[in-house]
Amino acid sequence: MEFLTILYFVYTFIAFYFLMIYILVYFQNRKEIYETIKPNKIRSLSIIIPCFNEEESIGKNIESFLKSDYKGLKKLIIVDDCSEDGSYEIIKKYARIYPKVIALQTPKNTGKASGAKNFGIKYVDTELIGFSDADSLPNQNAISKMIGVFNDVKVGGVTSRVFVSNPTNYLTRIQSIEFKIIAFTRKLLEFLDAIYVTTGPLSIYRKEAFDEVGGFDENNLTEDIELTWHLVSKGWKVKMSIPAIVRSSVQKTIKTWFHQRIRWNVGGIQTVAKYRKKFLQTGMLGVFIMPFFILSWFLGLTGLMFLAYRLIKFIMIKWLITQYSVAAQVALVSMDNFSLNPSILFLFGMILFSLGLGYTIIALSYSKESGRIVGYRIRDIFIYSFFYLLVYPPLLIVSFYKYLRGYDTW
Amino acid sequence: MTHGKMLKSKKHVLWEALVITITIFLLGLFLGMILEGSNSIKINNLFAQSETSLIDAMTISKLLEDSKFDCEVIKQNNIDFADRIYEEAKLLEEYEESGKLTENMKVLHKKYDLLRTLVWTNNQESLKFCNNYNLIIYLYEYNSEEINTRAINNVWSKILLEVKESNDDVLLLPIAADQNLASLDLLMSYHKIEQFPALIINDKDILQEIDNVKDVETYLN
Repeated sequence: MEFLTILYFVYTFIAFYFLMIYILVYFQNRKEIYETIKPNKIRSLSIIIPCFNEEESIGKNIESFLKSDYKGLKKLIIVDDCSEDGSYEIIKKYARIYPKVIALQTPKNTGKASGAKNFGIKYVDTELIGFSDADSLPNQNAISKMIGVFNDVKVGGVTSRVFVSNPTNYLTRIQSIEFKIIAFTRKLLEFLDAIYVTTGPLSIYRKEAFDEVGGFDENNLTEDIELTWHLVSKGWKVKMSIPAIVRSSVQKTIKTWFHQRIRWNVGGIQTVAKYRKKFLQTGMLGVFIMPFFILSWFLGLTGLMFLAYRLIKFIMIKWLITQYSVAAQVALVSMDNFSLNPSILFLFGMILFSLGLGYTIIALSYSKESGRIVGYRIRDIFIYSFFYLLVYPPLLIVSFYKYLRGYDTW
Repeated sequence: MTHGKMLKSKKHVLWEALVITITIFLLGLFLGMILEGSNSIKINNLFAQSETSLIDAMTISKLLEDSKFDCEVIKQNNIDFADRIYEEAKLLEEYEESGKLTENMKVLHKKYDLLRTLVWTNNQESLKFCNNYNLIIYLYEYNSEEINTRAINNVWSKILLEVKESNDDVLLLPIAADQNLASLDLLMSYHKIEQFPALIINDKDILQEIDNVKDVETYLN
């Protein structure tokens, strides 16, 4: 058997295995996906929101938290990272009106959300500590839906489900599909104790757990991934509440989207590098999360390699044949060019693709709180499945390159 | 539902998924091998028939030496037979493209090349006596993965197919030259052919370069 054939089988085996995990977890737990745990007591909570040049959204963000139905929300700490617009004035205005709003400003711009977040931590004296982004708007009941998981004393953190608040163009609509699939997948991973990130738009941590890991790593570009891995490595459980919905705006242009994804990828690479010694060690971090992360890279890169190899070879051969055929004045295409005997590799690929598409449709059917199947534009799903996902591997290559060059830009 | 139940981890699913994946993979590979095996049986059956036809053709050629038979019969017999193994070769090629798990088709390809070499030698004799048709031996590189070689092979095949379609008396035999067949190597060395692709027309003219159909037709009787 040829080397490429063997590599293809390894690729499809791993991809098939991951998909099978998701499918099995879904079928075994589908009735529990929307379950909310009732809190056994009111736990005091502080929310920290870093802010840099967000004068357009910070007011709405503060108001959405003030409308929260959770009785234990004691402090809303807004940390302005030396904004150059009127953000800090708006924050101070809210602080004057609402006693639970605390306006803070860092002595100098930290350049990263983690810097502002860590600055705000000093002012927290509650049992729980939460974080949000200045452009995110949680539902009124979002926090209430998350708190119950802390009944389990081993739970260190809980994350929410992010919906896109500005699906106005192709890019944002496709990101909306992407975020829904990511949220659904993350929920499935919770059943394996394998959540690998607590998202920026809204996540809550037990203060004791947060203190144990020493807060956010300011040297990491994805401090939320790093924090989650740190918690899991210390034996804390991380959960997700699907009914807890927070709406957040996403990148509207290819340029800013590209920059954001590079940052996410480089942050992921930084995190893997930091925890490399945990690889295949005991605990879900080493046994599942890290291999899962690394194998996902492998899948992305080998998939790209296969596609590029086959495509380039196909194009070059067709180009040469066309050139020679024209010179020789013979037919460009003959019936011999069409084969009705697909190879086993093609069939494996088709099965994998069909299962992947089926998974996408199941995940999208869970995009409303009730779990009803909702309508999507077929065109957007098509673009997501056939084109958008293809951009991941090249992004990964660029990210590896940037990581090696010491990329450190927020 | 109790939160204890909800928070209970379900890592056994990793094993279950692994077992299902392995089962499906083994089943897929098994079915793939059965499919390739069935294709191989089909080609083997065709090969057995062709072998019989070859012996038949060789017997006719032998009889020809006694000048008992019409050359027209010999010509038609040889061309029909060559056409049939040409069609079988196309089917073999199609199965070869889809065969990824076993080496059966490669072995069969070699057997067909040997068969075609035998047809070549048999026709050398027939041509000497009759000389009423054209024999084109097309020698190409089979094992090369080079894109340029594959493109040239493709275009040469199309040129030769056009030659064959516009000339009823052409017996075309494409033979893979790099199959390590001693008899074929001997024939090639006799004709001093070291580069491929190459054409041997009527066992005398050797072409290493062709640009179009006319280049070949110039050498036909």
